[in-house]
Amino acid sequence: MIKHILKLIWNKRGSNALMILEILLSFVVLFVILAFVFFNMEREKLPLGFDYEDKWRVSLDELYQQDSVVIVEAMTNLQREFRDMEEVKSVTFTKFMTPFINSVWQTSSDEHGFEIDVQVVMVDLDFMKTMGIQINDGRWFDEQDLSSEQDPVLVNQRFMDKYFPDKSMLDSTLMISGEHKLIGVLEDYRYMGEFSEPWAMMFVLEPFHENHHFAMLDMKDGTPATTEQEIVALANRYTNQTSCTVEYLEKERVDNNRDQWMMIYALMAICIFLCLNVALGLFGVLWYNISRRKSEVGLRQAMGAHGGDISRQFIAEMLILAGFALVIGLFFALQIPILNITEYDDSLFYKAAAYASVIILVLVFVCALLPSLQAARIRPATTLRED
Amino acid sequence: MLQLSNISKIYRTKTIETTALHQINLDIKQGEFLSIMGPSGCGKSTLLNIMGLLDEPSQGHLLVDGQQINNYSSKSTSRFRNEKIGFIFQSFHLIPDLKVIDNVELPLLYRSISGKERRRLASEALDSVGLANRKAHFPSQLSGGQKQRVAIARAIVGRPKIILADEPTGNLDSVMGDEVMDILINLNKESGATIVMVTHDERMAKKTDRLVRLYDGAQVA
Repeated sequence: MIKHILKLIWNKRGSNALMILEILLSFVVLFVILAFVFFNMEREKLPLGFDYEDKWRVSLDELYQQDSVVIVEAMTNLQREFRDMEEVKSVTFTKFMTPFINSVWQTSSDEHGFEIDVQVVMVDLDFMKTMGIQINDGRWFDEQDLSSEQDPVLVNQRFMDKYFPDKSMLDSTLMISGEHKLIGVLEDYRYMGEFSEPWAMMFVLEPFHENHHFAMLDMKDGTPATTEQEIVALANRYTNQTSCTVEYLEKERVDNNRDQWMMIYALMAICIFLCLNVALGLFGVLWYNISRRKSEVGLRQAMGAHGGDISRQFIAEMLILAGFALVIGLFFALQIPILNITEYDDSLFYKAAAYASVIILVLVFVCALLPSLQAARIRPATTLRED
Repeated sequence: MLQLSNISKIYRTKTIETTALHQINLDIKQGEFLSIMGPSGCGKSTLLNIMGLLDEPSQGHLLVDGQQINNYSSKSTSRFRNEKIGFIFQSFHLIPDLKVIDNVELPLLYRSISGKERRRLASEALDSVGLANRKAHFPSQLSGGQKQRVAIARAIVGRPKIILADEPTGNLDSVMGDEVMDILINLNKESGATIVMVTHDERMAKKTDRLVRLYDGAQVA
């Protein structure tokens, strides 16, 4: 029977080509959207590596315009004042590489052909405690590191996995824009948010640096919003400015992710709309085909086909057409992981292709089911007389 | 071969009741060539459909090859129809998207027969109607007479005991009609198949063994 159906499909290849094209295009759009969604979902599942709850960021934007001595003095005073506040658990000063700000400090080195690309984050001694950073191996900076001869650094786990997999490099010297002594490995610090690209990172100790623009505060749970005024007043006083602001990392995270979630929801909506469109299209075409082929259905029944044979035939025709479209679609889609066209994980594309194929097949089956069952109920005596 | 006892067919709508057949009694012997005549709308095709198990009678009993048919839409009835009955229609009912050989193979698709065997039987059937050289043609490439010969080949390919022909010469000119009629007569004589033919053509009807006339759904002769 399959051979017979293939003959029918081949002999009607003109009209079937359009159907195959429609299913193929639907597969391509589904594949691309699902790959995008899975890609983002995979990223979203990766650990951020820091806490954002009860974390406040105080911007000290105009401080860097002042003399370095004044800056250090202002930061020292601010650190003391913030620490004295009952609601503040800890405080740290950083540059622009703070959570949910899309700012990058990147450096690279090439030592005898061994290339390393890293994002650099300048931190002080309290950064780990304030931001809730997890150390996987080694230790965080301590007081002795401030006077260490070799610049101590920490890296994230991704750095180790990328450049020194399955090796412990603790206490080794890393040649990245100078010599650095590796003292620890932290889990991660994906400060640009859940959907950001994971990077190899290096953490350099630079307390009270003149380019530090932000104070990060770890607040006690349930701190009232009125404390914000107190903090702004302190910051303005010690930095001699009037533009200090406080932002909540929890809210920043939501704002930062909103665009990406909107994009995902919009694409998912397109996906659903597309599926509905394809479903209605297939349903209509099949319904029309069956009404056009009523006499054929009657004839087949007269020749000995049972209702089940009729519905199976129409469903099989549609599934075979969908199969053709999927074979073509999969051929092109799977070139992406096979030829390593992108740097992304191959499994992403296999997964998207598999899901898109299953969705298309289920869609086609469901759309074919009702008209096919309807065809099975056609009375041969009526249709054979009609023609 | 075919026994119809008090067969009646009544079409009912909400407001109207139409009697298409009334108390038909027929006993058709094996190997008989019977023709049914009557004016349009007298119930000839309805009777043929009931004999072919394509339609259910409202009343009465039907015995086909000694077997009483109860459930007309069951799988076993479909199989029974496939094995016992071949159909020929006035408008040929060939599937336009299939080649001649594939059209002839159609009844065999619903049997457990290998593709090779199907092809052999279909070729033989086409040979027997003189269309061996038209196997790879599509129906649209054939004349009316050739189409009807393909339909005859399709009706006989499964070697059924009964062939039901609904005005097989109705759409053909007299020459082609005679050709088709000759094929049916030969088929009846050579294979011993029982043939029931509905026709409007008195000349064709006279060539058959027996003539049954219907008028307003009732048997008049």
